[in-house]
Amino acid sequence: MQKLMIRYLLISAFFTLFISCKSYQVQDAVSVDNSLQFVQNQYFSDVSLDYVYKTHIEIYGNKMGGIFIAKRINDSIHRMVLTTDFGNKLLDFEISENSFKVNFIIDNLDKKIIINTLRDDFRTLLQVNSKVFKTYKRNNEVIYQTENNAYYYFDEVSRNLTKIIKTNKRKEKVVFTFDSKKTTFAENINIQHFNIKLKIDFNQISN
Amino acid sequence: MKTKFLVLIILFFSFKMSAQEQKMSAQEIVKFKETIENQSKNIKTIKTDFVQIKHMDFLTKDIETSGKMYFKSPNLLNWQYTKPYQYSIIFKNNKVYINDQGNKSTVDAKSKIFEKINKLIVGSVSGNMFDDKEFDISYFKTKEHYITKLIPKTASIKKMIKQIDLYFPLKDATVSEVKLIESSGDYTKIIFKNKVINAKIDDSVFTN
Repeated sequence: MQKLMIRYLLISAFFTLFISCKSYQVQDAVSVDNSLQFVQNQYFSDVSLDYVYKTHIEIYGNKMGGIFIAKRINDSIHRMVLTTDFGNKLLDFEISENSFKVNFIIDNLDKKIIINTLRDDFRTLLQVNSKVFKTYKRNNEVIYQTENNAYYYFDEVSRNLTKIIKTNKRKEKVVFTFDSKKTTFAENINIQHFNIKLKIDFNQISN
Repeated sequence: MKTKFLVLIILFFSFKMSAQEQKMSAQEIVKFKETIENQSKNIKTIKTDFVQIKHMDFLTKDIETSGKMYFKSPNLLNWQYTKPYQYSIIFKNNKVYINDQGNKSTVDAKSKIFEKINKLIVGSVSGNMFDDKEFDISYFKTKEHYITKLIPKTASIKKMIKQIDLYFPLKDATVSEVKLIESSGDYTKIIFKNKVINAKIDDSVFTN
């Protein structure tokens, strides 16, 4: 009886291990040769433009609104600010692939977990070039997997970036969805988290 | 020679600057405060359009939003953006009603901070902000305006706002322009236009 029990436990442990170790895969996609060394997100890439969006943030059922402003200030660094509708700053960051600087943050948001989550989201959102690790194809999509396990989905016809999926190797962690008429500008952006209840929407403000 | 010329130009302009903005005398301050306080006592309603300009040094262009503001004494306020998007915030019966592009929400405003915001907005429009406990206040005048400069005393507010400048046209005892300056030097400027004092405003304006 005990032997059977042990065997059962071993099998189920092995089975769980096997299932949970299954790495993230793009369904129905086939791996192809890398055609690019770097994949580009051009939506925040023009140094001559101020990117201004109306923003809605929903965190654990709490809603707040404001204005998101981003600008690429040189090859590697973006400056980004979140203000209320009245114009007062909530936060002001400078972000690059390897650096991060908080110029300002209001006391209510000045918590490590909030800052780190926003830093990671905005770093992915703003980063222009990411090194390609693998390339896949599926129907009309080309998908580039980066070295840090993010997946960039491009529409093969329009060449627009439609989605970035960040994974923790096994599961989707955060999905960035872009709604765009051209390759260089997204009218609407949505960031959806799966491990925490956080959703951020951006809608273009025509100034 | 060139540098001398440059120094002269700089001197000339700095003189011009200081000539533009003069400190008010003690007597002038007393009279000015009296006028504003009397006028704001008589304010039953205010209806005005506004333009809000957000300036940040790193941006190429300022961000401009605009809308309408309605105030009914003592504490009904509707601050409404109409361009480039719809957003309204209504202060009524210790509650704040927000309509963000159709998304409606209500916040209990019994907290001290909302009381302060309400007082700040109403004070900014009427100009009655001579609260020595909250601010260090200095008084200036130019050819067109009286200007009061308020420096917050509370640390939590100071972190967000370094200074508030209120502009009063010489012939009008209410505020025509507010400038909220952050510690970084970036600022928000609100310009009031088409202001009407004591026009009849229906209570329905203050429902979301």
